[in-house]
Amino acid sequence: MAKTYDYLFKLLLIGDSGVGKTSILFRFSEDAFNISFISTIGIDFKIRTIDLDGKKVKLQIWDTAGQERFRTITTAYYRGSMGIMLVYDVTNEKSFENIKNWIRNIEENASADVEKMILGNKCDLEAKRQVSKERGEQLAVEYQIKFIETSAKDSLNVESAFYTLARDIKAKMEKKQEASNPAGARSGAHQIRANEQQRKPTSWLSRCSLL
Amino acid sequence: MTNATIQEIEGIDDYWGPAFRSIYEGEGHEAFVQQLDERIKQHDKEIEKLCNFHYQGFIDSIRELLQVRSHAEELHAEISNVDANVKDTTDSLCAKAEELIRARRVELNIAATIEKMELCLPLLTTYSKLKSQVEAKRYYPALKTLEQLEHVLLPRVGPYKWCGQISADIPRLRQAIQDASMADLRDFLENIRTLSPQVGAMALKQTQEMLGRNLASIVKNKKDMAVLGISAKESTGPQCPHELVDFSPLHRCLHIHSVLGAKNDFIQYYRAQRKQQARLVLIPASVNLHDSIQGVKNYLNAVLGFFILEEHLLSAGAGLVSKDWLLDMWGMSVTKVASTLRTNTSLITDPTLMLSIKHQIVLFINTLKCYGLPTDPLPLLLQEMAEHYTEVLMQRWVVVFRDILDNASFLPIEVENQDQYDGVMDTFPYDGDELEMQPFPRKFPFSSIVPGVYVQVKEFIYAWLKYSAGLGLGGGRRAAAARQSASLLLSRSFTGCLSALFRRPLPLMQLVQIIVDTQYLEGATLCLYEFISNITGSELVTTQAAGSMFQAARDDAEQQICDKLEKKVDEFLDLENYDWLLVEPTGQASSFVTDMLSYLSGVLTSLEQLPERARVAAVRAATNRIATRLRNLLLDPAVKQISSGALDQLNLDVIQCEQFAAGEPVPGLKEGELLEHFASLRQLLDLITGWDWSSYLHDVGIDGGKYSLVTPRDAATLLEKLKEAEQKSSVFAVLKKNERDRRKLLDTVLKQLKQLQNQDGS
Repeated sequence: MAKTYDYLFKLLLIGDSGVGKTSILFRFSEDAFNISFISTIGIDFKIRTIDLDGKKVKLQIWDTAGQERFRTITTAYYRGSMGIMLVYDVTNEKSFENIKNWIRNIEENASADVEKMILGNKCDLEAKRQVSKERGEQLAVEYQIKFIETSAKDSLNVESAFYTLARDIKAKMEKKQEASNPAGARSGAHQIRANEQQRKPTSWLSRCSLL
Repeated sequence: MTNATIQEIEGIDDYWGPAFRSIYEGEGHEAFVQQLDERIKQHDKEIEKLCNFHYQGFIDSIRELLQVRSHAEELHAEISNVDANVKDTTDSLCAKAEELIRARRVELNIAATIEKMELCLPLLTTYSKLKSQVEAKRYYPALKTLEQLEHVLLPRVGPYKWCGQISADIPRLRQAIQDASMADLRDFLENIRTLSPQVGAMALKQTQEMLGRNLASIVKNKKDMAVLGISAKESTGPQCPHELVDFSPLHRCLHIHSVLGAKNDFIQYYRAQRKQQARLVLIPASVNLHDSIQGVKNYLNAVLGFFILEEHLLSAGAGLVSKDWLLDMWGMSVTKVASTLRTNTSLITDPTLMLSIKHQIVLFINTLKCYGLPTDPLPLLLQEMAEHYTEVLMQRWVVVFRDILDNASFLPIEVENQDQYDGVMDTFPYDGDELEMQPFPRKFPFSSIVPGVYVQVKEFIYAWLKYSAGLGLGGGRRAAAARQSASLLLSRSFTGCLSALFRRPLPLMQLVQIIVDTQYLEGATLCLYEFISNITGSELVTTQAAGSMFQAARDDAEQQICDKLEKKVDEFLDLENYDWLLVEPTGQASSFVTDMLSYLSGVLTSLEQLPERARVAAVRAATNRIATRLRNLLLDPAVKQISSGALDQLNLDVIQCEQFAAGEPVPGLKEGELLEHFASLRQLLDLITGWDWSSYLHDVGIDGGKYSLVTPRDAATLLEKLKEAEQKSSVFAVLKKNERDRRKLLDTVLKQLKQLQNQDGS
């Protein structure tokens, strides 16, 4: 049976409540924007297939609730993620400061080689801005993470943020693949599964505890 | 002899013949002539003697005669003189006399003329009076005068030329009067046409005042009047609406026509005219009555005014208007009014306007009652309008609800402090005993739409009751109708809005919250009924079962939840990445399955607010979907071959799912219920992996068999795939004996399965 994709990447969106994680995902998956704020409860995901260098890449993007009360549910999803988007709101100083806490969370819960990226969302609201682009860049440099300012409302940089993250994951994966299998595997998909399966025991157990 | 003869001759004067004969015959001629001569000579001597004797006397007489002659001449002169004198005198006398005679004649003539003229004079004065009356438009007296002129005065006066003219003038004048009175009538008709709306307006106003009259207001009015020093009598202006109109032209006209003997014609004419006017009145002046209340007011005023005037004419009793005619006209008109109003109100979408119109119609009806006109189709119209009003209100509230729902976050209300808490508790009846104990922030179980909608339903009830006010319905009936409308609003409009909401994909948690919210709203229906009873002042009735009002919406929401879960399951299963030629299973469940199961568990725990039924339905839908998809995967015609390793991998995944199903992910399930969804897949897998063909073929067609859910077709399909895979993967395995036996068995089983399939098919 013909496979519908070459790679499956699991991505995770984290950040304070109200910074626009769901909006970014909504923009990316449906290319739409809804002004009203509906807080995410627990966890949800969307799937979008993109084309990267001729490969079909399925992105399963998990959208987490920013609110503290859902923290236990959401951290369970860190482990299986291959890429994490850290989102803050440029009009909200606190959400920017909390990025450090979120990074610590990642360090505690996610696998070590997870790709990360910082998004400064709502950059269309220039008048209300509290966090300058420079500070965002500085923080990114500090943690050696890529950084981009986005606007889910104006559809600014959302697409490129996901593409960048996906491309980085793909590059890393191919590099690893080459290292472990210099002859070159026939199918990337097999390789992914191999990767996942290596992590599986911990991931499965962590979920069991949640259940 | 001779002497004797002469004597004889002398003695006889005439008869001388015999004497002469005797002479002539006797011879004595000479003696006789001698004697005669002698006698002549004697007589001569005697004449001479006599003449000598009388001569003197004769002279004297001549003298005297001459004297008389002069005297006579004198006398003649004198007489002539007198005669001339007399002649002079009598001449002037005669002239005078003649003058006198003429004067007398003139005098007589004058007297005669005066007499005639005196006869004519009343005629003329009457005629001029007539003229001036006509001039002054006092037609009725003019007609009376005319009559007098024609029948009394004219015959009395002789046949003069001018009389002829006057009598010729009479019919012309009569016609002129009739025409003029008709013109007056027309003016009157036109006049009342413009006045009748005012009449109607006044009547409506009076009715309103009358309706609004109660002891308090009467006392107040009296006091006001006393304060202002106005006595009731002083108030000026007409007291009755019909007094606005001056009917005198009409009555005059009627009198005139009665005099003219055309009373019936006139009544007919009047009625025809009024009928035409009625037709005009019944067509509303402004085309769209539904644009503003003024249009309706004007319309009703005009109609009412019209009939008040007719009714007044009826009671005035001049015979112009008969009861039958009036009722007939009214019957025709009221139907038309009702239909006009019906047409126009059915287009109205503004409840305020409808209220005002209803108020007008109620006033109209009450006024009609005052004037004794039947109101018949109008109460029905009000009822129809009530229905329409409810519709309009519901449409309004649909917008309100839609607004509430559009702006709703569908999150439980969280309050930070007592004020906010009280704010919610004030708007919505919630038994907050438990919540009262909790520290802030407190969290209500329902979202903001619950108090929002509750308040709006109350608003709706207020608005709805506004219509039924003044319709004279009892509190109980009003309350019942209000309850019905409120229920209808919730069960139709609000549910409709919810259904519309469900048309766009909603996040799961919002759906859950909606279901929870509808339960709280249903719970509050009783409070709404209490509220209705309180404001209508009727007994609390709780006959209607409030439970199922939002069941349809809840079913929708539940269906959406199921759909959503199924869709998520689909998304996970789309990530399926089986290697159908896998040699050895990994010993681990596939990642999409574990991800999916953990996701489902998470979701199902977050559904704990849902009613058990909904959660069970959701988990059922999800498990059924998983089982169906996995089974379809196995039987997918696009998958041509399946190795036993791949089968084992899938079996492992199915086992994961079965564990999930068996683990009672939500309470309220029957034992093993969810596993039933996997039963057919499980039997198929067991049959193939267990190679248990003997019992399958033995039991086939028997209910309750071990593999009763596996059809020969499915078994054959899967077997074919296995066969394909084995042929491909292990070309050399044929050499082994047990492999060969296995192949043989496989072929036999396949053949038998095909036969069974054919049997089923035939």
